[in-house]
Formats: sequence, structure tokens, C-alpha cells
Amino acid sequence: MPPSPEKDGPAPAGLVLEGVTKSFRDGARLISALAGVRLSVERGRFVTVIGPSGCGKSTLLRIAAGLLEPDAGEVTIFGESPRRACASKRVGFVPQSPALLPWRTVLDNVRLPLQVNRRATPPSGLGAREPEEILEAVGLGSVKHLRPAQLSGGMRQRVAIARAFAFDPEILLMDEPFSSLDELTREVLRHELLSLWQVHRKTVLFVTHSVTEAVLLSDAVAVMTARPGRIAALVPVGLPRPRGDLVELTDEFRALERQVRLELRDGSRPALGAPGSGRLATGEEAGGGADG
Amino acid sequence: MQTAERAGPGSDGPRPTAGGGPDLAPGAGRARGTLLAGRRPGRSSGRWRALSPSSWLPALVALGALSLAWQLVAVHNPTVLPTDTAVLSELWHSPGLFWHDTLVTLQEVAVGLTSSFALAFGLAVAMSYLKVIERAVMPLAVVLNVTPVVALAPGLVVAFGFDLVPRYIVTAVIVFFPFLVNSLVGLRSADPEALEVLRTLHASQFETLVRLRLPSSLPYLFAAARVCLPLSVVGAVVAEMSSSGDAGGLGSLIETASAYSDLARIYAAILVLAALGLALTLAVVVLERRALSWRAPASGS
Repeated sequence: MPPSPEKDGPAPAGLVLEGVTKSFRDGARLISALAGVRLSVERGRFVTVIGPSGCGKSTLLRIAAGLLEPDAGEVTIFGESPRRACASKRVGFVPQSPALLPWRTVLDNVRLPLQVNRRATPPSGLGAREPEEILEAVGLGSVKHLRPAQLSGGMRQRVAIARAFAFDPEILLMDEPFSSLDELTREVLRHELLSLWQVHRKTVLFVTHSVTEAVLLSDAVAVMTARPGRIAALVPVGLPRPRGDLVELTDEFRALERQVRLELRDGSRPALGAPGSGRLATGEEAGGGADG
Repeated sequence: MQTAERAGPGSDGPRPTAGGGPDLAPGAGRARGTLLAGRRPGRSSGRWRALSPSSWLPALVALGALSLAWQLVAVHNPTVLPTDTAVLSELWHSPGLFWHDTLVTLQEVAVGLTSSFALAFGLAVAMSYLKVIERAVMPLAVVLNVTPVVALAPGLVVAFGFDLVPRYIVTAVIVFFPFLVNSLVGLRSADPEALEVLRTLHASQFETLVRLRLPSSLPYLFAAARVCLPLSVVGAVVAEMSSSGDAGGLGSLIETASAYSDLARIYAAILVLAALGLALTLAVVVLERRALSWRAPASGS
């Protein structure tokens, strides 16, 4: 698939995945998780990867973050290997759970990235935002001295996002960060992320299984097939920014959702998968499409 | 969940591979409260509950019944049990004696515990990084654990004499395995996604240990301490009994009193030992409450 056609200048590719392949061993069987994934995210773009559960979205994200090594293929983040990009603290990883340290206060959790690997910490005032500033921006200023156990799930997830923004990485890799929240909280957090992104304009690769979330947040939606995962289609999202609360009610939005859903359904067809993946695909399709 | 948390780290059975760790991880409370929880609502109410008669009255009644039964036996069969007044007057008339021996036993416990803990924790850190070390050490530790440590004591006395050294060793050995296993499980209980976050920040092994693995292991270490403190007193007393000499200690005191059939002194020493165990356990509980105050407010017990 070619990257999104509408370019507004010679933007260097932020994240490039080229022919990324990965399989896992499950006892005697070798399960192919990713088969030749090709995807590029330009600098300053928000790209979402969507697909049925178990299609390897999270694996893809972990490979991009340098947490897993691909069996074949190449990953570069601003021209560097993921590991080197991590070494210079250019990668902000937001896992599925908030993964906060329960013995630290909210503020200290947000400070954590600045405290480890200090050599790569940008000097204060230069790039790195003040953790307190970020916390104010996500509405956590009043709870910064509380501990994670005293917060609601949505607030904890906000802290995790604030933690990722606080050390000013160039790229954010987010693994279904809202999937464990209730629908109402999720909607609020999506819009908060939108407005944060509007200000900071990070390069983002965002994994989700929610069609609405994908369309609302992204510049382009990469639709993955069921196992083995490949990018079946790249749906450009041309909705104007900033996107307000009402954008979800527009016809344009609905049309895009419809398009993504159709691509998802096509991608999950047994015929397209490898032999033996049909059973899995039909099983997971309901899970992938049930959102919204 | 609450009970699993409490029971989890305390169990010191042979769990060499510690695979079940994450399920019992005490810090992994993923409770999804939808509202901001207040400032420790459980705390003050728990304190008040402890003061209401319904909580302490049953224990008091049971204690009263037991001492009554004791008294009946003691009065009619002075060779079986001493009367409680005899025990108390024994303590009252020679407090220096008991104080001295208590200090000796306490010293053995302190030295044995700290050296054992330092060694066990150091080994656990090494094991959590290098599987080879775990494979080498764990079987030996298991063998050590199933060996009745009491049996080691006479041999150690032969080797090191009627000194404090064999007592230190017995005390250390008896608590080594629970410390080792809990340290290892604790170090491995760190949230895997938090580990991933640290990896993407390129945090060093040392930073990961200090900032994540070590604090994650604290609940397990305290659980181990709660088990190990009374156990270490057992170790010290057993060692003292098989090497009762000039070195003193409450175990030696009991051994000597037994030779003179001095029941009152024996039970006075036992009473002191019980108080010692209780005080040590209470100290751990208080310390634990302070150190682990970040945990979700649990129902106090």
C-alpha cells in the first residue's frame, strides 16, 4: 500500500516499517503473527492501526518500540533503529494498562521518564515540558500528590498519557490505551488526546480495535487482516482539524467509519488469510466490528 | 482478591520457578473505580473498629478461660504447671537475669536475620538476572529447606564451640529459604508493562532494579519478614538449647532451669519468648503499614 497520498511538503518519514514479519512458537506450532507489514507514518502524523483482536497489532507496536525483534524486515524511527531511538528517548510508549508505579505520586510518576537514562534527558526548559504543566493540561493538577490507587481508571490512564508527553518524545506508540475504560470515560479521553495532540503535534502510531476511535483521532487508518497480520488498506481521514465534539455526528465521519468497517470485513475473510486462519478470523470478526 | 493478596506472598512453599507470581502480585490492583477514591476511607474507621468491644472482648474472654483452667491444673498438680503468680514473681524477683538472656537471644535473632536476608536478597537479585544461578542455587536451597535445621545444631556446636556462632548459623539457615523465595517472587512481580515502559526509555538494569523491581518486591519482603521473625526466634532458642553454656540466652535459661526442675523459671522464660515474638511481629506490621501505605486501602485486620 502506498502511504497517504496527500502530502503537504517534503516531510521526512517518522516511522517506517518495511516487510516486518514475526512468528511465535506455541509448543510445536509456529504461529505467524505478522507477514510482511509495510507502513510508514510521516512526521507529525497520527496513524491508527485497527484490526480484529489477535491480528498482531500489539506485536507490531512492540516491534516499532524495539521491545520485540522482527524475524524479517526493517523498522526505522527518524532514520534510526528503534533501540537507538529509545536510547535517545525519542519514543514514548503508552501500554494498554496505565502501568503506573503505585508507590509514587501522580507527579512522581510523570517525572519518572526524566529520572531514568538521564544522559538522554533534554535539559530543562529545552523541549521537556514541566511535568506539572502537562498535568494541568490534562486536568490532573489537583490530584498530583495522590497515589494511583486513589484515582479512577480514567484518571490513571490520563496520568499514563501525561507521562508519555512529559519527556517530549518525538514519536508516541500507543497500545489500545483506552480499551479498559468505560465508554463515557473513553469518549472524554479521546477528545483530551485530540486536543493534546493539536498542541504538540507528535508523530503517533495508535493501536485500537474501535472504528470510531480510529476515525476520530487519525490522519490515516491502517486496517490489518486477521492472522497473519498484514496491512490490508490505508484509509486516509481528511476530516478537518481541530476536531470538536460534534465531528462524530457528521455524515462525512459516518462515511469514513463505514469505509473502515468494510475494509475490516474484507480483511477478515478467510479466503485472504493463510490456510487454517479462517476459523480464527470469523471468530474474531464480531469482536472487531462490534464497537461503536 | 483481598485474601489472595494477603495469602500470596506469605506462602513459602517450594515455588522455585515462581511462575505463579504475577497472579498474586499485590501491587497489581486493577480495580476500576469510577470515582476518585477519598483519602483512605478505610483507615480511620478501621482504627475505631479495633477499639469497639466486639473486636477485643472474645479474645479477652478466651484468655480469661484459659488462665482459669491453667490455674486449676497448677493448684492441684504443682509438678505439671506452675501457678501464674509463681511465674510472675519469678520475673519480678530476677528481672536482670531475664533481661540479659533476652538481649542475647535478640542479638542472635538480629544477626541471623540480617545476614540471612542480605545473602538471600543478593542471591535473588542475581537469580532474577541470570537463570543459571537460579538453576544452580535453587535445588540446594530446597534441600536446605526440607532439612530439619534442629538437627544441624549439635554438629555446629561441635564445629564452633559453645559460642554464639552456631546460633547465628542456625537462625540464619532457618529463615533463608522463605527470604530467598519471597525475594525472587517479589523481584519478578514487577508490572510487565511498566517494565516495557522503562525499556523504551532505555533505563539501565540498575535503574530498573532500584526504581521498579525493588519497590515491587517490598510487599513480598514484608510478608516474608512476618513469617521469618517468629521462625528466627525458634531457630535461636533451639540452637541455645543444644549449646547451653556461658553464652546465655533464653533457650539456655530454659535448659538449665529444666535440670533443676524449676517450672516457674521455665514458664517465665517462655512467657518472655512469647512477648518477644509478639513485639517483633508487631514491629514488622507497623513498619509494613508505613512502608506500604501506597497500597490500595485494604480492610484492616
